[in-house]
Amino acid sequence: MGNQVFSVKSIAKSFGSEKDGNYMEVIHDVSMDIAEKEFIVILGNSGCGKSTFLKILGGIEPATAGSMVLNGRDIGTAIPPEELRRFGFVFQSNNLLPWRTAEGNLKLMLQIMKLKGEQWNKRIDEMLDIVGLLDYKSVYPHELSGGMKQRVGIARALVHDPDILILDQPLGALDAITRKMLSYEILNIWKKTQKTIIMVTNNVDEAILLASRIFVFSNKPAVITHEIKVDIPVEERNHQIGQNTRYNQLREEINEIVRAAM
Amino acid sequence: MKKKNKLISFLAPVVSFLLIFSLWEIACTVNEVPTWFLPKPTEIFRSMVVDFPEFWPHILVTFEVVLMGFLIAIPVGLLLASLVTSFPLVNAALSPYITFLVTTPLISLIPLLMLMMGFGLNMRITTVVIQSFAVINMNACTGFNNVPTIRRELMQSMGADPIKTYLKMTLPSAASDIFTGVRLAAIFATTTCISVEYNAGNTGLGSQIIKYSQYLKTTQSFACIFYVTIIGLIMYGLISFAQKKIISWKE
Ligand SMILES: Nc1ncnc2c1ncn2[C@@H]1O[C@H](COP(=O)(O)OP(=O)(O)OP(=O)(O)O)[C@@H](O)[C@H]1O
Ligand SMILES: [Mg+2]
Repeated sequence: MGNQVFSVKSIAKSFGSEKDGNYMEVIHDVSMDIAEKEFIVILGNSGCGKSTFLKILGGIEPATAGSMVLNGRDIGTAIPPEELRRFGFVFQSNNLLPWRTAEGNLKLMLQIMKLKGEQWNKRIDEMLDIVGLLDYKSVYPHELSGGMKQRVGIARALVHDPDILILDQPLGALDAITRKMLSYEILNIWKKTQKTIIMVTNNVDEAILLASRIFVFSNKPAVITHEIKVDIPVEERNHQIGQNTRYNQLREEINEIVRAAM
Repeated sequence: MKKKNKLISFLAPVVSFLLIFSLWEIACTVNEVPTWFLPKPTEIFRSMVVDFPEFWPHILVTFEVVLMGFLIAIPVGLLLASLVTSFPLVNAALSPYITFLVTTPLISLIPLLMLMMGFGLNMRITTVVIQSFAVINMNACTGFNNVPTIRRELMQSMGADPIKTYLKMTLPSAASDIFTGVRLAAIFATTTCISVEYNAGNTGLGSQIIKYSQYLKTTQSFACIFYVTIIGLIMYGLISFAQKKIISWKE
């Protein structure tokens, strides 16, 4: 396996305090080593702490215990501000700012990260093109469909050229057909951009289509119960994947695991 | 179809306006209502034109006080709301005083302010500011407190500093609540200005309304009231225009 770009070691997260009687441990102990260009997928029941885990990885919240290692540097329980540029975060709901056009939403990222110049402006177009929305550059979010909004959200998370893309159930709010279509688009984006991706989903088919490795979380407080390597070559991952024997084996296996965890 | 709708929505108020004033006119004429009791609209409109030179300086004074007070109240209210919602300590320290200002009937403050500042414009503008900044503050606070958590998380994931977060996310998120406050403040400003003029000095439309009604010159009194209405309409128009220019999106 390639270089370790990002490792989390015994991450834990709790909310509240015992004194106030609202103490809640959400993540008990999660460790994973993530290699360059890997596609990690996390599966788990609703409320088990998947979003919480991603927020820690994306620098939105600090962990309560454990540590993270980014490119060989120990950064402790929280992503330092200067390292946030390495991450792009796609939210569970699209989270676009309604007063900015598609282009404006991507531009915000560049403005905040102080990335100026012609090459970055060009990159806005490139990223909107990658998600197939170049023609919708100057359109406001309320004029876009749910799937389109989510695609702008993905383009935004890529525009500053991060190393690691974090996606929190990016397709959760979409209808089945759009969802299927967009999952193939994410696959293509991964192939094209060669990013390291960490994604949460609740859909097993989606997980096997996309993942290099799948981690299954227990119910709250979360620990990793299973780690599954998806040994299907990238070339075989396409619309015909349903006929792949290995795919169907894994599908059986993981569905069994997920059913048992319910 | 759209054009037709526009035409109708323009004509409807014009027609109802004409209807109401015609009824008023007819009622006064048929019942021979004395002018000192309720003048006819045509007489009022005539006075608005004929006595205009006499009214003009007072219109200016009132408009200046309303506009100045209003324009000062907006940044004061916004700044205070921003501080209060960003720093819990400021909130704890100031919220009792803001509540005090909102709940104290303004009339009871006027004699005090007159004592301290005289009858002049400064005192009037101060009163207008005191009375109108609080509604802006309250509505802006609502707006700031209702900013979706997920948007804060977005700014955090980008590593935005507090000032950029405020300018690029918080302020636009709260914009429509802020405008609600601004609209109310315009009403408060006009009402306050007139009630100050009732009580203090002999300039401004409020003082003229009192003066004319004391002399039973009800027609002139009404003309002044109509000019107050026009000032209110101008304020309303300005705010609507600004709101259309600034908030061009849908949530
Ligand atoms: N800021 C917070 N304060 C207190 N509790 C929180 C906070 N954020 C999350 N939690 C709790 O942590 C638990 C896990 O939440 P989380 O959003 O991570 O779940 P999830 O696995 O993403 O679920 P879903 O699949 O429904 O999105 C929930 O019980 C939630 O109530
Ligand atoms: Mg979640």
